[in-house]
Amino acid sequence: MAYDAPMEAATPVAELRSVSKSFGSVMAARDLNLAIGQGEFLSFLGPSGCGKTTALRMLAGFETPTEGEVRIAGDVVNDQPSFQRPVNMVFQSYALFPHLTVAQNIAYGLQQKRPRPGRADIKARVAEALETVRLEGFQDRRIWEMSGGQQQRVALARAIVNRPRLLLLDEPLAALDRKLRKEMQIELQDLQRSLGITFVLVTHDQEEALSLSDRICVMRNGEIVQIGSPQELYDRPATRYVADFVGTSNFFEGRIASKDGARARLGLEGGQVLSGSCGPGLNVGDRACMSLRPERILLRSEAGDAGHPVTVQNRIFLGEHTEYLVTSETLGQVIVFAPRQTEQEGLGYNKGDTAWITWRDDAARILLSEQ
Amino acid sequence: MRIYAACVYLFLYTPIAIIALFSFNAGRHASQLQGFSVQWYGRALNNPFVMEALENSLVVAFTSATLASIIGTMAAVGLHSVRGPVRAVFDAIIYIAIMIPGIVIGIATLIALVTVFDVINPWIAAIWPRVEAAPQFSMGRGSIIAAHTMFTMALVVVIVRARLSSIEGALMEASADLYAPPWATFRRITLPLIAPAIFAGFLLAFTFSFDDFIIAFFVAGSETTLPIYIFSSIRRGVTPEINAIGTMVMVVSLVLLIVAQLILRSSDRKKSRK
Repeated sequence: MAYDAPMEAATPVAELRSVSKSFGSVMAARDLNLAIGQGEFLSFLGPSGCGKTTALRMLAGFETPTEGEVRIAGDVVNDQPSFQRPVNMVFQSYALFPHLTVAQNIAYGLQQKRPRPGRADIKARVAEALETVRLEGFQDRRIWEMSGGQQQRVALARAIVNRPRLLLLDEPLAALDRKLRKEMQIELQDLQRSLGITFVLVTHDQEEALSLSDRICVMRNGEIVQIGSPQELYDRPATRYVADFVGTSNFFEGRIASKDGARARLGLEGGQVLSGSCGPGLNVGDRACMSLRPERILLRSEAGDAGHPVTVQNRIFLGEHTEYLVTSETLGQVIVFAPRQTEQEGLGYNKGDTAWITWRDDAARILLSEQ
Repeated sequence: MRIYAACVYLFLYTPIAIIALFSFNAGRHASQLQGFSVQWYGRALNNPFVMEALENSLVVAFTSATLASIIGTMAAVGLHSVRGPVRAVFDAIIYIAIMIPGIVIGIATLIALVTVFDVINPWIAAIWPRVEAAPQFSMGRGSIIAAHTMFTMALVVVIVRARLSSIEGALMEASADLYAPPWATFRRITLPLIAPAIFAGFLLAFTFSFDDFIIAFFVAGSETTLPIYIFSSIRRGVTPEINAIGTMVMVVSLVLLIVAQLILRSSDRKKSRK
């Protein structure tokens, strides 16, 4: 599913070039640079207030950047009002028109488009859109007669019926319950692939971003922290913030003791030295931390080579895996996920047991500690 | 406590009930009940003075309510997109217009109109080719309409503003996102959504104008509206005919107010069911 980068050669569908946006003295977005490729599924991921919605609204034309350029299909659109942009949005609240029927809601964009498609054409496309979102037969319903999930589909149909260059989705699944959300995620992905429309999703749900996106743009305090494929972000996070936000991780703080190309050694405060892979931008002496994903740690009953002795503090059975909280004298608290296969005979480890943890060399990632 | 409440309601509604009751009086005295009859309704409706006053009242109420609805809606929509101190000032002005006693509005409008007419009329006479045929502004229907429009417009603004602020802002954005320029968004989204409020405002404005005595009394000139007619005939003694007119006015006003309330409430319910 994941190709690592969009097709670089073609003109990007949309581009942000050094875009900043301030509201009064508040910087909502700072120096954003991003190119979105044709057919890509890109997510803006971050906590609330990180600037992801502002970025989306600048693409939609609801906000004008204070600095920089927003380009759509190569053209600078900074001064183009939203009604002239070939872009459609699915709103968090759906924003369906309460006084119109489902079909009238979906036809709205086509009726406003200039040149306006013919009446028969509009009708055919509305029917097609209804079919795409599996709402055949609902065309004459009123909005308030629809459930949340159905309203969500109407909102989607109302946007895709216009065949926009770019479909913007502002936390579209946030209002749905967990099960429905899962279903809609799959549908969204299918839809995006079959239509070939470029999707830009805003979400604070890392799981959603990981499962849907070709690329994720992680934001924090109005800035882009890292852009990459889900796997890239997960395996090679640029900063501790990304490692923490995307998935779960253990962090061990220390200073860079030595560095050799893409590998570095981290000196912990207790004197222990750990090694791991690292990205650029790290120098000997920097405060740094090692990130270790809990599912990549092995819990063993023998020391072996390079095992760290630990005491089991807690054990939580979670179905597909068991979560252990262990403490090590040198590393502190460590979370370990043990899959079912390693827990044969229902034994596992119990509270108070002594064990050893090890990990493969490529599981450890050394990152710059931030603020 | 119950007795106290009962007294309050008795005090409030007994006079009104008596008016309605005596309008069906067969006898010609307002204080002695002498059997049931609807003859006074027939008399009132056949009285040319009553009918002329009624026509004046209806024309004034309809015109001023229409103008107030149009201007008030425009003001409300305009104010809705304004922020900060400008909005606060205009909001204050509108609430003041509602709170100012009718008698003050009456006097103020009278003085203002007289002053303006005194300035304008000689000018028109001077410009007009034949002096004796030159149109001259004077008090009459026009001045009542102007005064009522000004007063009832504030009501429309308040009602429409309340409705506008209950509409989700994302709807306008969604419309703009779906290629609708601002005017199309107003016509296809905003206007249908605030239409019930505009209509309710119209009915309220109509009722206020139809019932108003004080303002009309000052600016009516030689014209007579229904409340003015009632006032002047009461000075010649209360007849069951006046009771009949009063009852009819009251029923019409009540019906209009109830309809206005129902419209506002049912459109709210639709929204909340969403």
